[in-house]
Amino acid sequence: MNRQTQTFNEIDRVIHEPGRLMIVSLLFAVDRADFLYLQHETEMNKGTLSSHLSRLEEAGYVDVLKTYRGKVPQTLLHLTGAGRKAFEHYRRKLKEAL
Amino acid sequence: MDQVESLLKRPKAYNNIDGTGELGMAFMCLCFALLLWLQLNTPKDSIWNQMYVLFIWVGLMVAMIYFGIMAIKNHITYPRTGFVAYRTQNRIWTTIVALVIGALASVGLVLAVHSHRHIVMPVFFLGLFFAAGYAFGIARSGGVNALFRWKWAVVLAQVLGSLTIAVLPGELTAALANGSSVPAGFSASSAGAFLLWLLMYGTLLLISGAISFWLYLRHTQAPAKEAHEPANADVQ
Repeated sequence: MNRQTQTFNEIDRVIHEPGRLMIVSLLFAVDRADFLYLQHETEMNKGTLSSHLSRLEEAGYVDVLKTYRGKVPQTLLHLTGAGRKAFEHYRRKLKEAL
Repeated sequence: MDQVESLLKRPKAYNNIDGTGELGMAFMCLCFALLLWLQLNTPKDSIWNQMYVLFIWVGLMVAMIYFGIMAIKNHITYPRTGFVAYRTQNRIWTTIVALVIGALASVGLVLAVHSHRHIVMPVFFLGLFFAAGYAFGIARSGGVNALFRWKWAVVLAQVLGSLTIAVLPGELTAALANGSSVPAGFSASSAGAFLLWLLMYGTLLLISGAISFWLYLRHTQAPAKEAHEPANADVQ
C-alpha cells in the first residue's frame, strides 16, 4: 500500500461525509450553536440535519443539549474535545493527501 | 479544502449579519460627537466639561449599545437564523487586541495634535486607520459574498470623507467648535475637524448598518407562529 492510499484510509469517514463535514466545520469555529443556525447555514432540511447530528453524537463528536430560550424550545450543539481533535486530524490528513 | 476553510469563517461573518456591529459603532461615534459638541459649545465650568460626566456618558453609552444589540439579537436574529455562542478564548484576545490598538491610536492622535502640526494629518490618518479596520472586518467576514460586497463602497466613502474633512478650510471647521471651550493643546479648527469626522464616520456606519439590517430582514423569514397558538388569535 503506498503512502497516499494509506493517508486516504486514515481519513475519518464520519467527518468526511459532506453534510457532516459542513456541520463539524461550522461547530469548530464556535463554542455552541443551535439547530436553527446549522439549518440556516447548511440549507439542509430538519430530517437530514437530525440524522447527521445523531451520527455525530453516536461517534462522540457532538453534544446535544435540549433547552428553552424563553418559552421556545432550543437544541444547542457543541463540538466535544474528541470532535475537535478528530476534525483537526481530518484537516491534517486531507492536506497531506492533497 | 477551500470550502472547509470558507465554512470555518462563516460563524465570524454571522456576528454582523444583521448589521448590529455597525449600528453599535455608529451609535458610539454619534454619542461621542454629541458630547464633544456639548463640551465645545458650553462654558468650561459647565457640567459637560466635567470628567465624571465623561465616565457616566461612556457607561450609559456602552450599556445602551450592549442591551440594544442583545435585544435585536434575541428578538429578531436568533429566532430567524439561529443562535451562536462564540469561543471565549478568541473573544478575550480579540477584545485585548482591539483595546490595545484603540489606545495606541488615541495616544497617537493626542500626540499628533499636541505637536502643533496641522490637523490635516491626524484626522486623515485616523480616517485611514478606521477605514482599514472596517475593510479588515469585511474581508474577514465574507467580502466575497455578494451580500457584503457593496460594503467596499463604504470603505471608499470613509477614506474620501476623511480626506475631504482634512482639506477643509480651518475657518470652516473652527466655526463648528465655536472657539468657546476648546481644550488646551487643541485649536478650534482641529476640534471642529475631529467633531466633523465623528459625525461623518458615525453617519456612514449608521447608513451601512441600516442597509445591512434591511437586507437581513429581506433575505430571512420571520419564525412561524407556535403550533398551539390559534390561527385567529389576533382576531377579537
